[in-house]
Amino acid sequence: MKILIVEDNPDLRENILTYLSRENYICESAEDYEQGFDKIMSHSYDLVLIDIMLPKGNGLQLLQDLISVRPQTGSIIISARNALDDKVKGLEIGADDYLTKPFQLPELLARIKAVHRRNQLEGTDILSLGNFEINTSTRVVSINGETLNLTPKEYDLLLYFASNKNRVLSKQTIAEHLWGDYVDHLENLDFVYQHIKNLRKKMNEAGAGDYIKSVYSVGYKFVIPRETS
Amino acid sequence: MKLITKFIWIYLTVTLIVLGIGGFLSFHIITDEINNELKWEFLDRIDRVTYLIERGRRFHPKRSIEGDRNLIIERLDSIVEPKTEVSDTLIWHDRLEQNERNVKVSAYRTINDESYFISTYGAMIESDDVKEAVIKILFWILLLQVLGAFGIGYFVSGKLFKPFRETLNKIKTFKLNRKSYLPAEKTGVEEFDNLNLFVEDMTRKAVSDYQNLKEFSENASHELQTPLAIAKGKLELLAETPLNEEQYRYIEALERSVKKLSRLSESLSLLTRIENEEFENSHDVNFSELISEGIKTFSEFIEFNNLTLETKITENVVVNIHPALADILWTNLLQNAIKHNVENGFISIHLSQEALTISNSGNPTDIPTDHFFERFRKADQSSTSIGLGLAIVERIVRQSGLDVSYKVNQSIHTVTVELKNVNNG
Repeated sequence: MKILIVEDNPDLRENILTYLSRENYICESAEDYEQGFDKIMSHSYDLVLIDIMLPKGNGLQLLQDLISVRPQTGSIIISARNALDDKVKGLEIGADDYLTKPFQLPELLARIKAVHRRNQLEGTDILSLGNFEINTSTRVVSINGETLNLTPKEYDLLLYFASNKNRVLSKQTIAEHLWGDYVDHLENLDFVYQHIKNLRKKMNEAGAGDYIKSVYSVGYKFVIPRETS
Repeated sequence: MKLITKFIWIYLTVTLIVLGIGGFLSFHIITDEINNELKWEFLDRIDRVTYLIERGRRFHPKRSIEGDRNLIIERLDSIVEPKTEVSDTLIWHDRLEQNERNVKVSAYRTINDESYFISTYGAMIESDDVKEAVIKILFWILLLQVLGAFGIGYFVSGKLFKPFRETLNKIKTFKLNRKSYLPAEKTGVEEFDNLNLFVEDMTRKAVSDYQNLKEFSENASHELQTPLAIAKGKLELLAETPLNEEQYRYIEALERSVKKLSRLSESLSLLTRIENEEFENSHDVNFSELISEGIKTFSEFIEFNNLTLETKITENVVVNIHPALADILWTNLLQNAIKHNVENGFISIHLSQEALTISNSGNPTDIPTDHFFERFRKADQSSTSIGLGLAIVERIVRQSGLDVSYKVNQSIHTVTVELKNVNNG
């Protein structure tokens, strides 16, 4: 997958680039509106990340340019401003998703994958991992052809893990993904553990194996064991 | 007290004092003038008596001339130098039954080598009559003054003070976030013109200061969030590298701190935005629905903390408030009730048309409950919460014209939000 990152802050750009490169994505970056404009005009990308506050122009303008030239390209807008206006404007123009700074890189990756899945021309909604499959349009998980009975939260949790496999996800990151701002003021994040425990149990019972590894009890990692066929 | 009422009171008080002094002076001036006139007449009478004696007319001593009982004529045995004396004397007045001040003129005259003592006295007008007349006059003057005072007062407050009242009304309806200052209008009265110019300057400055402050808080939020986002990203990248347990724990602690900082900056920016009255468009928000939805969202956290939930929610409780603020208000209160609870505690939520009451079990505290609404005030200083939740609640409540109170009864904490909009009656 080819991704263009339009972000003026070099550190933030580097963070995103490094994180996404590990996923074996081909990443390019632009630091202002003009560079971004040149790149979307001359190359084709699967997805473009656009910061709204850009030097030499506006991110929303760039989004407009992108959609008028290559409407099939996926787009996610990023802004530090918590302003509702920007979000509404961006989504009206045609952005696929919206993130506010500071966001978590695993969250960004999950959103990129979700946008990518939706935009894929073949329309494959099935995510195959090890011996189980996730159908993202019907929200059904099946192991060896048998449907796994998951609660909505457990499904979201599994999909989040699947989008961030082999990466360490802290309890905080998981809690924020699943509950958003609601967990902002809660200190005790043990309920994350509760959900992970339930998910593990259900997957084990269905014979999927233990994919979720605890990392020093501060975070979790989703690891697909090598096929043992 | 209205300015005009005050003005009339002062005016009437001064008038009364002036009329009092004036009355006293008038009384004396009038009496003096009358007495003076009387003195001249008495002198004239003495001259006439002298003339009659010169012509050979004889008078019985102490008998009146032409029935005048107040005339005394005595022939003296020795020759006395002619002289005239004018004096006041008190004479008993039978009818009034009091001593009356009378004018007395006494003269010694030598006529045809004989000396006579001629004396006459009397009062033209009784002093009570003078007093009565003066009081009558003063009463009429006072009456006219009162009528005048109210007439002028009515005119002054009606027409003269019109520009002042207009300025006052404009100041009352002035709102900072409308971004328009109050232009000074010419009134033709120097003081009012000065006032209007001053108001124009003040509002112009307030609007520009407000604008600067708003920009500052917006920029501060933006500028803070960017480095925080970078730090967060770097930590996430660091967590991907091979680390031992100790290093992981450090990263986790750092992530928590970064998260807290970012929440802090968001909360402060929210507080500023509420104070700047950026949330103006209030709508009718159905609190019954809002609260039921919130309980659903949080039920997981409530169960997880082994808390018992008791609710009594009246249907269709509608409050005029900005929807975003309603959400923050309610979420903050419920989160507080969960967070500051004890093991196996309870939360009780009551919603009526008048008030939303949230009670929860918690730890007893000796901090006065008013202080909970202050920024960064925490019952437990070691707590990791940022201490802005209730400050935000209080601002929202004040902004929306509601009222909030916090009570602690031993280990039961109760927050009550009065839902009657004060502004809208």
